[in-house]
Amino acid sequence: MIGLGLRLAISGGREAVIRLVVLTAAVGLGTGLLLIAVSGINAVNSQNDRYAWFLTGNPGVPSGFVNPHPGSREGTTPEISGSTSAYPLWWLLRDDVFDGQVIYRVDVAVTGPSSPVPPGIPRDPGPGQYYASPALAALLKATPASELGDRYPGHLAGTIGGAALPSPDSLVIIVGDTAAQLGQAPGAVRATSISATPPSGCSGDSCVLGLGIDAKGLDLVLPVVALAMLVPVLVFITTATRLSAARREQRFAAMRLTGAVPRQISVIAAIESTVAAAGGMAAGFGIFFGLRGPLAAIPFTGEPFFPGDLSLRLPDILIVAIGVPAAAAVAARLALHRVHISPLGVTRRVTLEPPGAWRVLPLLAGLAELGFWVMRGVPKAIPGQVQALLPGFALVMAGLVLAGPWLTMAGARIMALRTSRAPTLIAARRLADNPRAAFRAVSGLVLALFITTVAAVTISTQDAKDGTTQVGGATASNILVDMNQGSFTRAAGYEVHPALGAAPPATLLARLREIHGAGAALVLYADPGLTLPGTGKINRHRERDQAGLVSCAQLAKIPALGRCPAGTAVAVVDTNIGDTDLATTTWPAAHVSAQRLDSLGALGIFVATNGSTRAVEQARTRLETAYPDASGPATFAEASIHASWRDVMYRQLADVVILVSLPVAGCTLAASIAAGLADRKRPFSMMRLAGAPLGGLQRVVALESAVPLLAVAAVAIGTGFGVSAMYATMQLAHPLVAPDASYYLLTAAGIVVSLGIIAATFPLLRRITGPEVARNE
Amino acid sequence: MSAGRQPAVVGQAGAIIEARGVVKSFGQTPALRGATLSAAQGEVLAVMGPSGSGKSTLLHCLAGILVPDEGEVWFAGSRLDTRSEAERSVLRRDRFGFVFQSGQLVPELTAEENVALPLLWSGTRRGPALARARAWLGRLGLDGLERRRSGELSGGQAQRVALARGLVARPDIIFADEPTGSLDSVSGEHVMSLLTDAARQEGTTVILVTHEARVAAYAARRVIVRDGTVTALDAVAP
Repeated sequence: MIGLGLRLAISGGREAVIRLVVLTAAVGLGTGLLLIAVSGINAVNSQNDRYAWFLTGNPGVPSGFVNPHPGSREGTTPEISGSTSAYPLWWLLRDDVFDGQVIYRVDVAVTGPSSPVPPGIPRDPGPGQYYASPALAALLKATPASELGDRYPGHLAGTIGGAALPSPDSLVIIVGDTAAQLGQAPGAVRATSISATPPSGCSGDSCVLGLGIDAKGLDLVLPVVALAMLVPVLVFITTATRLSAARREQRFAAMRLTGAVPRQISVIAAIESTVAAAGGMAAGFGIFFGLRGPLAAIPFTGEPFFPGDLSLRLPDILIVAIGVPAAAAVAARLALHRVHISPLGVTRRVTLEPPGAWRVLPLLAGLAELGFWVMRGVPKAIPGQVQALLPGFALVMAGLVLAGPWLTMAGARIMALRTSRAPTLIAARRLADNPRAAFRAVSGLVLALFITTVAAVTISTQDAKDGTTQVGGATASNILVDMNQGSFTRAAGYEVHPALGAAPPATLLARLREIHGAGAALVLYADPGLTLPGTGKINRHRERDQAGLVSCAQLAKIPALGRCPAGTAVAVVDTNIGDTDLATTTWPAAHVSAQRLDSLGALGIFVATNGSTRAVEQARTRLETAYPDASGPATFAEASIHASWRDVMYRQLADVVILVSLPVAGCTLAASIAAGLADRKRPFSMMRLAGAPLGGLQRVVALESAVPLLAVAAVAIGTGFGVSAMYATMQLAHPLVAPDASYYLLTAAGIVVSLGIIAATFPLLRRITGPEVARNE
Repeated sequence: MSAGRQPAVVGQAGAIIEARGVVKSFGQTPALRGATLSAAQGEVLAVMGPSGSGKSTLLHCLAGILVPDEGEVWFAGSRLDTRSEAERSVLRRDRFGFVFQSGQLVPELTAEENVALPLLWSGTRRGPALARARAWLGRLGLDGLERRRSGELSGGQAQRVALARGLVARPDIIFADEPTGSLDSVSGEHVMSLLTDAARQEGTTVILVTHEARVAAYAARRVIVRDGTVTALDAVAP
C-alpha cells in the first residue's frame, strides 16, 4: 500500500504531478518563512550576545563586583574583579556619534603583560594606537579628519574582527591610552576580565545602557514577536496542505469504488501528503539558505545581522525536518475524518454548527478586566501590576482569536441580508456558512496586528510622555556638550564630575564660531549653589544636574534655545525639559551677575549649527578634542533618539511583524482561495457559462478573502488602540498618542501586498472556470 | 414572449437562432464539421445524437459559449460569433437561460437566492429579484423550499430550482443540456413537462440536447448530430 501510495503521488499522471508540485511549493514557501522566522529570533539572540564584551566593568554583570579604586577619585573608578588577570585593564566605554550613527568607543590601557584583551583584536592597543571596526575604518578613510579622525589620537593599528561586532556595519573603536592618563578619566574602571555576559544577563540599574536587549526584552518582547510571526506562518502551512483536497477526495472515492478500504485510503492520503510535505520541507530549507544572505543585510533590529547569526540550531532543524512532514500526515488523516469517502462519492460528515455568541465573552471579559483597573487604578508594586494586567491582555488576545469566527459569521450574515449584489451575496453566504475556515486564514494576522498596534501606540505614548521625539527644527541641530549627557557613564551608575571644568577658553569658542555653518556658542555654567526657581518647566522630568546658568547676551544669539526675561543678564536653563519646545521658552532669571559667570565652571557648551553634517561633525570633533574626558557631544535630536533607543528597536521589530504577517496572511488567503476554487469549480464554471461576468466572480473571490482580512485588521487594530488607551491611562498616566505615519503606512502597505497576493489568484479563476473547462467536467 | 421584453428579431428564414456551416475542433479532434441548424421563436427543438457526436458542442456554439472555427452563428438577426466574450456573456445573462445535468446551483445559497442570481447579476434590486424567484419556485411546485440549500434538495427538486433559475430572467432561448440526465424517469418527466409548459407559456425557444428518445419526445422537432453534422430526424406534433 505504501508503494502504491508513493507511485500514485509521484507518477500518477499530469494531475498528480501538478498537485505534488503545488503542494510542495506552498509547503516549501511556508517552511522557508518558518525557518526565516526561527533563525531571525536566533539572530536577535546572537546579536545580543555580541554586545557582551561591552559590559566589561559593568557592576550589573553577575560575575563581578565593584570596589572603589583606591587611587582614583572616590566613587568614580570602581575596580571590577571576578576572574583572572593579575594585570587589570583600564577600561572606559563611551558612545560617540557621527552623522546619526552611534560609534562605540572603548578606551583601554594595560597595566601589565597579561592584561585582558577584548575580542576581535590580537592585543591591546598601546598609547597612540587604535583598532577600528571595518565600517569605521572605511568611514575614517573617507571622511576629513576635522570631522571625525581628529577625535581619536594616534593611528590605526588594525581592524576589529567580527567576533567583537554586533553587526557587520557596527562602528566600534578601541583606543589605546596610558594607565596613568586613563586612570584619571571619569567613569574608567579596572577590569580583570572581559565580560562574557550579554545585556540580557545584566541586572540592576546599571544595565540601562542602550546596548543590545535586556532580560525583559528577551523574556517578554521576543516571545511575543515570535508568536506574532510564527502563528501566521503555521496557519499558512496548514492551509497549504489542504490544497487540492477536493480533487484528491474525489479520486479516493473512485478508489473506494474499485475496492480500496478506508484504512488503505488513509495510508495513501498520508503518504501523498507526507511526500509533498517532505519535498516542501526540503524546498523550505533551500529557500532559507538562498535568502539568508540578503535577509541578514536588512536591519530588522536597527542594524544588519551577520549572515551566520541567522542560524538554525539542531533542535530547530529536527523539529522542522520531522515536524512538517509528520504534521502533514496527521493533517491528512484528520481531514479525511471530516469527510465520508464512499464508492459513490464524497460527502461531508456533518454540517458544521455555527459558532456561538459565547465566543465573544472572553474578549469582553478581557476588556472589562482592563477597564476595571482603569477605573480602580493599578497596584503600585510591579508584581501586582503584572498580576492585574497580564490576565487582561491574555484574555483579549485569546478572545480575539476565539471571537473571530463568530464576528465573521455575524458580519457575513448582515452583509448577506442587505445586499442586492450577486457577488456580495455569494461571498457573504460562503463566509457565513463556514466562518471558521474563513477566519482560520487570518487568525494569525489578528494576533500580529493586535500586538504590533499595542506596541506602536504604547511606544508613541511613552515617547510623548518622555518628550523624546518632540525636539525638532532649529533646536535639533544645536549641539550640546555636557558630561552628564553621557548615557553610558550615567547609566553605569558612576558618579561623574559635574562640570567640564573651568570656563572654556575664548579660543575654543572662537574656533567653534569659525566653523562654516556654525553660528554661535553658548556656555552653560555650573553653579553648585543654584536654587531652582519654582517647579515650572525646570527639571520636570529629570535630575536637576542638567540645569545651569547662561549669559542672556549669548542666549540671544541662539533663539532656538529660548529667551531670557526682559532686562535679565543671567538666566537658568534646563536642557532636559521633556516635551517643551525650547524656542518658545522664557527661562527664569537667575540672581547672578554676568561678571560672576566667568568665575564658575562650565557645565556644557551649546553650539548652534545649520544642521549640516559637516558643521555638526566639525563642531563635535572640536568639542571632543577640547574635552576628551567628557561624554560625547550630541545634538538634541540625537539625544532624543538615544533616549528612546530601545523603543526604536521594538518599533522596528513591530514593523517587521507587520511586514511579515500581513503578506503571509495574504499567502494563506491565496492558498484558501485556490483550495476553495477547486471545491467550487463546477458551480463557478456554470455561472460563468450562464453569463455571470468574470469580473463578478472575481469580486466574489475578492470579497470572500478581503472582507475577513480587512475586518480582522480593523478589529485587531481597534482593539489594540482600545487596550493601549487603557494601558496609557493606567500605567503611563498620559493620554493615548497615536503612532506616527510609518505605522499606518506599513500597515497599509502590508494590506495592499496581501490584497495583491489575493488578486494574483484571479488568473487561476479565469483558467479553471472557462467554458471549455466546464463542458468537460 | 412575456411583457417587458422586446420581441427578438427573427432571422431571414424565421429563425431566432441559427448555425450556418459551423466547424469546431478541439486540437486535432474535429467536433463539428459544417453543422447547420436553426430554431424558430417559441419552438422546442431536440438535438439528439450518440456520445461524442458533437451535440453539446453545437449547443455551446449556438449559446456563444464557444466560438466556431468556421461558419456563422446568428441570433435575432445579427451575428453572435463575432461578438466579444464580454458581449456574449451579457447576451447569455440577459437573453438566454441554461439548464444542465447537475452541479449548477451555488451550494451556499438558498433555493430562492439561486433562482434570483441571474436577476441580481443584471442589477435587479434584491427585493424584486427574490419576489420573482419565489413566484417561479411556486410555479414549479417548490413552495416551502425557498430557504433550502442545494444540499437539502432532492435531485428532482434541485433540477426544478435550476429550471426556475433558467426561466426567471424571461430569456428568449433556454439551452438545456441533458437536463434529466441525473434524474430518475419520473422526476425527469416531471422536469421536462414543467420546462416545455413554461417555455410555451412564455414563448421561449428551447434547444434541448439529449440522447434519450423519451426526453426528445417533448420537442416539436428533432434533429440528430452525427459525426459533426446535423440531420433532420423528423417533426413531431407538439
